[in-house]
Amino acid sequence: MTSASPFVLSVIARHPSGRMPDHNFRYWIIAPSVFLLLLIGLFPLIYSLVVSFQQITMTDYDTSFAGLTNYAQLFDDARLWQSIAHTLIITIIALPVELVFGLAMAHLFLERMPGRQIFISLIVLPTVISPVVAGATWRLLFDQRYGPINQVIGWFAGHEVVMLWNITPHLVYPAILICEIWQWTPFMFLILLAALSNVDKSLTEAAELDGAGFWRIFFKIVLPAIWPVMAIAILIRGVDLFRIFDVIWALTSGGPGTMTETISIYTYVQGFQQFESSYTAAIAFLIVGLMSVIVIWAIRRMGLAK
Amino acid sequence: MNLIKRLGLTAVGALIAATTVSAAWAESAADRAVKEAQKYKGQTITIVWEAGLQSLDPLNFSGPLWEKLTGMKVKVVEVQTAEMFTKIMQEYRAGTGAYDALNVMPSWMPDLANAGALEPLDAYVDKYGYKDEFQKIAPIYRDNWAKANGKIYGLPDDGDVFIMYFRKDIFEDPKIKDAFKAKTGHDLSVPKTWKEFGETGSALTEILKPQNVYGAAFFRQPPYTMFMFQERFRNEGGKFFDAETMKATINSDIGVKVLTDMRNENKFMPPGVEQWGFVENLAAFMAGQTAMTISWPPYGRWAAGYGTDDKALNWVPKSTVGGKVGYALPPGGHPELAAGFDLSIASTSKNKDAAYLFIQWLNSEDISLQRVKLPTTLRDPFRDSHYTDAGYLALWPDAKDYLKTLKDASLAGIFDLSVLQTDKYEEVLRQAIGKLWAGEDPKAILDAAAGEWDGITKKIGVDKQKAVYADWASKSGAYPK
Repeated sequence: MTSASPFVLSVIARHPSGRMPDHNFRYWIIAPSVFLLLLIGLFPLIYSLVVSFQQITMTDYDTSFAGLTNYAQLFDDARLWQSIAHTLIITIIALPVELVFGLAMAHLFLERMPGRQIFISLIVLPTVISPVVAGATWRLLFDQRYGPINQVIGWFAGHEVVMLWNITPHLVYPAILICEIWQWTPFMFLILLAALSNVDKSLTEAAELDGAGFWRIFFKIVLPAIWPVMAIAILIRGVDLFRIFDVIWALTSGGPGTMTETISIYTYVQGFQQFESSYTAAIAFLIVGLMSVIVIWAIRRMGLAK
Repeated sequence: MNLIKRLGLTAVGALIAATTVSAAWAESAADRAVKEAQKYKGQTITIVWEAGLQSLDPLNFSGPLWEKLTGMKVKVVEVQTAEMFTKIMQEYRAGTGAYDALNVMPSWMPDLANAGALEPLDAYVDKYGYKDEFQKIAPIYRDNWAKANGKIYGLPDDGDVFIMYFRKDIFEDPKIKDAFKAKTGHDLSVPKTWKEFGETGSALTEILKPQNVYGAAFFRQPPYTMFMFQERFRNEGGKFFDAETMKATINSDIGVKVLTDMRNENKFMPPGVEQWGFVENLAAFMAGQTAMTISWPPYGRWAAGYGTDDKALNWVPKSTVGGKVGYALPPGGHPELAAGFDLSIASTSKNKDAAYLFIQWLNSEDISLQRVKLPTTLRDPFRDSHYTDAGYLALWPDAKDYLKTLKDASLAGIFDLSVLQTDKYEEVLRQAIGKLWAGEDPKAILDAAAGEWDGITKKIGVDKQKAVYADWASKSGAYPK
């Protein structure tokens, strides 16, 4: 037994013939979803665009048209460009490392071995942890007073070592990268393991019989076969890394000073600590623009649009 | 005869009137608030309170008691400290009237008052006869935290102030005193200046390090150190701005000296002290690993073991220093009234009178005394009567010394910079502290910070900020007198 919703019944009832309308009905059906999507997606976007041309702050609700003031300010804002540079540094280092480690681990677990499933489950665990929890956990691990990492290093060194991972300039980026790579290499591993499992074994075996070495087989057969999946994984992680926030917020809060402030953290600080609503909207549109260009370029470059 | 009769009647009338008035004034502000509030029986007022321990006060004590006395319900909206200003402003902008009463940090007062988010309270204070009890709030809080633009916008309700805690057993130990004298050439005493603090802390670390005890430690994370910088900078004679031009002057020689001294002091503090926050510092002091520290008043109560058996305080490390802790004003003698809370009324409230009566009752002599003695809720003494209350004095053996120090602090304290968009200026200082711990040059740090302050002032408007700064600087607790 089925029951028609009141909405469907009302649409049928309104039709003069009393029968199901054949043309417009499908639009009525999707209309609520489209309306909802527009409401939660398009409206904030347009509203943010309007706000970016005003001078609204939390304490001064100035809605008069300010022209391109906020956008002009973007170019003079050294802290903004530094935060973009910090984001790129983290992305450029973390992404290849995660990819290489993920691929190596996937290759290792490709063959059947005792306890394989258990190991895979354990390796994947960090990805299911909330990034902010991961960051807070690593902060404790790195802590001078309570953290085990410095204690272990101290055992090896034979004396107490003082390493302030979230304060000392040459240690803060390694700390962030260790945490980030620890958490997200398993993501690469999982996706690449699935891709590698689907590589046609007859091709690699034939190449081996023909005398091809490991690297030759990898670059000529395996890599082209897994590339579409790998490209998607790179794209997803690349975008994730560009908007990295939680781990750094929990580990360093962007410090010392603004040394590890990424674009997401800077946007948050401007919007939700400094309450520069209009300027934050301009930053958001800068990020949208940058990300669009990068993602479109990457999709074309990786051949994903074919 | 008629004249005599008339005079007699007048005298009797005056006597009756005087008796009536004095009877009326004999009624406490708390009783008066309860009596008036009974008109609003059945209504609910919503109050914003700092989440966590602070809000246990209205949730477990004052809220239920108020409901019992008046029939009014109290809805407590718990908000994290960092979100309180935003929430209050957002609700004001939205005009929802969702909040009736507020906990407001005094440094937010210029922003909230100028935006119109707070209700001026002068008329309510008069209407409900609160003037006398308001006057009995310790002067430093009353005269510095309550007003903006000459009007009362908040009832100071929490005596937040930095106090120095030191180990009496260490400072009185003859062997340590001898070793100290041998090392420094002078007698061991609680430091009164930052120079003395540096010498004492350093020497004590050298003497006590074999026992794993350090001369001193502080919370050094930027949010806390930002307050300590404000205190030390002004104690050393620094001014935040040039009052005429509103140019930032934090990059003066005094500022550079303070930052340089602060970094040098870390050398005799426990390794990694730069990472320490409120809890790490508390844990070390409670474990007896530091001879001196500076913090808010709860450290003193918890170190004495007061209230730490309560379930809500099970995260507080057990004190190993009970009975061994002495209290003093921090070096310089003008402690920072760091953070703190006022009770205010939201201008968009639909129950202003009822909400005001609730905060008057909370803030009154009778009720506030009970609240500052609640072991778990972090409200610190802020009235003259709190410092001399027999019940409080008997809470632990050294409570008299503790309350005397708090009273001294209430006479000499200095309060946080409170201008338009204070948090932006504070954020620059927090970043400066982070850079300091990262090893950057103090002069370069402060030059950059001063430049950022000037940028903020310019954006707000130099004249606009100048007027607000002048109002702040005119108060008794702005700069040491």
